[in-house]
Amino acid sequence: MSRVKQRPGALAVHLLLIPVCALTLYPVLWVIGLALTPHSAHLSAGLWPLPAHASLIHVRELLSSRNSSGELIFIRQLINSLVVATATTAVGVTLSVTAAFALSRFSFPGRQLGMSTLLATQMFPATMMSVPLYAILNRLHLLDSLAGLTIVYATTAIPFCVWMLKGYFDTIPRELEEAALVDGATQGQIFLRVVLPLARPALAVTALFSFMTAWNEFVLAATFIDDQTRFTLPVALQRLVGEYQTEWGQFAAGALLVSAPVMLVFFALQKHLVGGLTAGGVKG
Amino acid sequence: MRAAALLALLASLVAGSSAPVAAEPLADTRARVLVWHAYRAAEEQALLELIARFNASQSTYRAEALALPYDAYASKLTAAIPTGHGPDLFVFSQERMAVWARDELLAPLDEDAIESGREFPQAALAALRSGGHLYGLPLSMKCDALYYNRALIQTPPTTSDELEALAIRNTDRAAGRYGLAYEANDFFHHAAWLHGYGGQIFAEPTHRPQLDSSQAIAALAFVRHLALEDRALPEEPSGTLVAQLFNAGKAAMVINGPWFAGEVQGVSYGIAPLPIVSATGLPAAPLLTVEAALVSSRSPVQAGAKALARFLVSTEGAALRARVGRQVVATRSAYTFPDIGNDPLLTAFRAASEKAVPMDNSPAMLSVWEPEKRALVSVLSGANSPTAALAQAQRRMLAMTRISPPVQSPWPYAAIAAMISIAWLAWRRRLSLKRVTARVSTRRGELMRAILYCAPAASSILVLVLVPFAIGIGLSFFHRADGHYTFVGLANFIDILASRDYRVSEPMSFWFTLAVTLLWTVVNVAFHVSIGLGLALLLKNPLLRFKGVYRVLLVIPWAIPNYITALVWKGMFHRQFGAISALLSALHIQPVSWFTGFSTAFAANVMTNTWLGFPFMMVVALGALQSIPQDLYEAADVDGASAWAQFRHITLPLLKPALLPAIILGAVWTFNMFNIVYLVSGGEPGGSTDILVSEAYRWAFQRNEQFGFAAAYSTLIFLFLLGWSAISRRIAREQPLENA
Amino acid sequence: MTDVALRGVHKSFGENPIVRGIDLDVRAGEFTVLVGPSGCGKTTLLRLIAGLEQPDAGDILIGGKRVNDAPPRERGVGMVFQSYALYPHMTVRENLAFALNLRGTSRVEIEQRVREVAEMLELMPLLDRKPKQLSGGQRQRVAIGRAIVRRPDVFLLDEPLSNLDAALRVQMRGELARLHQRLKSTIVYVTHDQVEAMTLATRLAVFDQGKLQQHGAPLELYRRPANRFVAAFLGSPAMNFLRGRYSNGHLAGDGFNVPIGALSATFDGRDLLVGIRPQAMTLAGPDAAVLRGEIEAIERLGNEGFAYLKTPAGPLVARFDGGGAELAVGANAGVQLAPESLHLFDAVSEEALA
Repeated sequence: MSRVKQRPGALAVHLLLIPVCALTLYPVLWVIGLALTPHSAHLSAGLWPLPAHASLIHVRELLSSRNSSGELIFIRQLINSLVVATATTAVGVTLSVTAAFALSRFSFPGRQLGMSTLLATQMFPATMMSVPLYAILNRLHLLDSLAGLTIVYATTAIPFCVWMLKGYFDTIPRELEEAALVDGATQGQIFLRVVLPLARPALAVTALFSFMTAWNEFVLAATFIDDQTRFTLPVALQRLVGEYQTEWGQFAAGALLVSAPVMLVFFALQKHLVGGLTAGGVKG
Repeated sequence: MRAAALLALLASLVAGSSAPVAAEPLADTRARVLVWHAYRAAEEQALLELIARFNASQSTYRAEALALPYDAYASKLTAAIPTGHGPDLFVFSQERMAVWARDELLAPLDEDAIESGREFPQAALAALRSGGHLYGLPLSMKCDALYYNRALIQTPPTTSDELEALAIRNTDRAAGRYGLAYEANDFFHHAAWLHGYGGQIFAEPTHRPQLDSSQAIAALAFVRHLALEDRALPEEPSGTLVAQLFNAGKAAMVINGPWFAGEVQGVSYGIAPLPIVSATGLPAAPLLTVEAALVSSRSPVQAGAKALARFLVSTEGAALRARVGRQVVATRSAYTFPDIGNDPLLTAFRAASEKAVPMDNSPAMLSVWEPEKRALVSVLSGANSPTAALAQAQRRMLAMTRISPPVQSPWPYAAIAAMISIAWLAWRRRLSLKRVTARVSTRRGELMRAILYCAPAASSILVLVLVPFAIGIGLSFFHRADGHYTFVGLANFIDILASRDYRVSEPMSFWFTLAVTLLWTVVNVAFHVSIGLGLALLLKNPLLRFKGVYRVLLVIPWAIPNYITALVWKGMFHRQFGAISALLSALHIQPVSWFTGFSTAFAANVMTNTWLGFPFMMVVALGALQSIPQDLYEAADVDGASAWAQFRHITLPLLKPALLPAIILGAVWTFNMFNIVYLVSGGEPGGSTDILVSEAYRWAFQRNEQFGFAAAYSTLIFLFLLGWSAISRRIAREQPLENA
Repeated sequence: MTDVALRGVHKSFGENPIVRGIDLDVRAGEFTVLVGPSGCGKTTLLRLIAGLEQPDAGDILIGGKRVNDAPPRERGVGMVFQSYALYPHMTVRENLAFALNLRGTSRVEIEQRVREVAEMLELMPLLDRKPKQLSGGQRQRVAIGRAIVRRPDVFLLDEPLSNLDAALRVQMRGELARLHQRLKSTIVYVTHDQVEAMTLATRLAVFDQGKLQQHGAPLELYRRPANRFVAAFLGSPAMNFLRGRYSNGHLAGDGFNVPIGALSATFDGRDLLVGIRPQAMTLAGPDAAVLRGEIEAIERLGNEGFAYLKTPAGPLVARFDGGGAELAVGANAGVQLAPESLHLFDAVSEEALA
């Protein structure tokens, strides 16, 4: 604990962080301002983003809009989004974590090629992929389903997750696994009870990343889903952007509502970003 | 246990929502007619009500509507219709009609043509014809007219001279008041002046776009005069800004379409036709967009789709759309109802539409918008003369209308590809043989486990990424014209690399764009990593209070959909009304016109993208920092290492394995991150801030759907990134790919 | 009580042979120490026994059963790693209980055995701490406890004391010896430290360059080293060597001729390598000296000491009694040697001569 004293005083850190946060949040205040301004347009001059007379009408309209069958559309699509994003996180992280473990720990032919391929998949502009992807999903009978969307999102998230997790696994001392091996653990038990708990920070990062991959995406969701009741929230939000005009107030309100769960997820995950998980395990 | 239950619940939700909706209360055996549209609010309400009426009126078909976001609408149609999953009927303007007709995605509606002649204005029908066939029934007409604030303007101007005089009289820049406000940099609105000066977009008899005619120059000079000499127009006008000025009583006149009426709040206004251009005596005829009901050629229920289309444009349908949806309907008979025929908004725009020039629906029109927009922006920002700007626009437009390269035989290419892959396989095999003999002891069990662990991820990547990727690369050897692909070998690549249409130093050339893209990538990644890592270092201190709060606050830019935040940033960069200008003014610094110079526009893009991107890097760095054992710092403290030395010798090297993947991938993503550039600077000035991937995007979706050429761009991007990563790894003597 | 046997074991990493044909019998209940310089293959051997590596050739037998293909958990071995390899995310209690948990031992029994081990190793107050909150010696004890708690047939310890400071090392050495007395299990212990090796081992196996040099009781190896390597490796300071030709009770080399006493006649005229432990070579007055040299360094231990000399026969270390106050670096000194404590090696093969 002695080193804490040697770091710049806590006050200095706060004095540094507060202006950074203020700068970061300033554009967000404009979004809030848009959301709270009744009537449509608001991009007024000046430095102060919030309107003099705030109103929650946009939020209310957004939350109370119903589809043709009288369902509360926002709630419905919020549930869809939560389901897809959570499932994407589960599927994406599961697939990535096993692949990353194999790539970090086993030596097998094609390992390097696999890592390079993962990187290479990120290099081809995604804009060109949606039309062939549509045809493939059609073949697989995965169009117009949240499952299909989940698989697409999870696959999109895999390359980053694998790279991130592999990089982290590489820092976990192998002796811990050997110790577990001698202690009588099977490969599976080692993976679940020793490696995964130690990789918590990386798991938190990849989980957040996977969640975000699914959470804010609308082009693929709108392209692959053909049913209003299965649309995700960003699709509904993007509906407010028309060909000729945009409901900025509602869009801003929606954008803020959409970002709230992300912050909750992050807040829940960030306690896993704790220091020195592997500390004290091995020496020398 | 709880986690398992949660997973099971989730799985059932995903599976459940993917199952077709089986629980229809009453089994409706009527054939389903699926309608896609991007209507919102009142227009959507009118459409839904008409569909309900249609369903009640007959017993053969049951129509169902799907509302889509406009931004994803066209690409969804392009992807869906060929597979047979598309709509039976869909609502779209004539803009892409000829492309779709050419690709045989639309069913002709010729049987309706004769009767339609009486019911619809000729202009509307002309807009929906292609190759001698009628492809849609006109729903509504959208074109510009002049809105004026009755408190400021008693009589609307009838000539452009009057308009100019009124505009000057009502302008008071110090008070932020403008005589005329409209999106002058948007060619849709500018086209009226072009027509008023006797110009046309398409030159006859060749029917090719001609952007640099003398009339076009005169029209542009007129607007330039309004903006730069009279200073009667607000700068960098956006739709929101125009509405805001008008609602605040700070814009006396506005040129806009019927949709604008819905945005006006608390202003008493009138609508007049656009004035006659004094110099020519011709009316400033606006461009006419016709929204039509189009029938998919792949639809199994074409008869039903056509019946619904006819119902939508019938007198009853049109009247309802006019009343509820406030649409300027094309159906003449609807105007016999007094409430519609006397509606000031509808009649004003109906009158305007009669003088309007229907927008050409041919693919060539798609290559006009971008060059025109660039010309308008450069002239209105004072960077260019109308003559020079339009000459440039003409060149740009010609470059986009690519002539099909000669067809080639694919066989020599296939043979070369086969030879290369055989040689490569042989080489790999030799390598791997060597390795296997060196490591006889690699256990089979380990190999099997590796396969087991990797298989799920590998198979999904193979099917959903590598296959589309291979298709994409394959496409780059083809040219797409008239809906068909022809093999052209390397012609696409040669055209791009040889920078056929532009000098290398010009902003539109591949090499210039490549240089900008590299700069963009390096600068952004440097900012992302340094800010992200710096904040992570500050926030990792376990004793810091409120660190959870800070972390969540700092992650917000990542959490909010970037579509809106990017546009908020663009708003902040506005020369007159932006917060940054306000700040500079408060500091007594002359505000900057951000998007007229390369460096400022580039800086604006970078600022926005830095703001959007640092939280991700911060989160990654926070995670990566946790892999460093604290006792190393303790040891360093004992050794008397300074904070910098600790960072340099402990933090950085140990962070590398966990942080390097994010940096490499971050660089690749930034290289291909076009939506920020697209939304903030839009490539201005003159396309110089565009990056490579925006070109690929434009070729694919905005310039005549030249997928082959776009694929060639994408392949070049891919090859470049691949080579770059290989070289940089070699130079850095760093092998992040193998951490053996 | 289980014995361990290695039969012709080979192991290479890539092109590097690390273990080159080793036959070794570890008797049940014995404390066997594998000792040798770093890189001699001793740790690899331990890992081969544990099942963490697979032999390229040869057999490994535990309790008479061939275990080449058995995974570690089926071999009944407990291992203490050089780095301890404690599970950092678990408390001491969880670390100790982990192996038992894996085998589905009942909770009551786990509790009891953890307590038993914790008491034995004085870990009771530390049970709820995480490894990072422990000192080096405490971590070491947890690592040992983790191996003991499963009551394995064979303990494998890989340089367990190398990360401790000198005082702690002596203390732990004693504890390990007592532990062996108490558990009476088979222990295979790897170290490069010959003091640990000598003090702990029931039997000692000395390795060099992937080969077993000699195997036997520590004193036997000390007294009758099988070759020059073993002779030099065991004992401190290291044995002195004189290389020369023997004739008539004298060893003669380039610039020296030392009387070493009468040897068997068969050695006459033969080139020999003669080893003398520093303890058997003492500083002597001018009359008694058989060899003279210049003192380069002096190590005073109090009641005795060692002088490092440069002589015509090469560098030598000689013992002296008392404080050695009269000695000075740079001065000349003579040595005498006790002919009865000579070790004779063949000059070429460097193997011991009977």
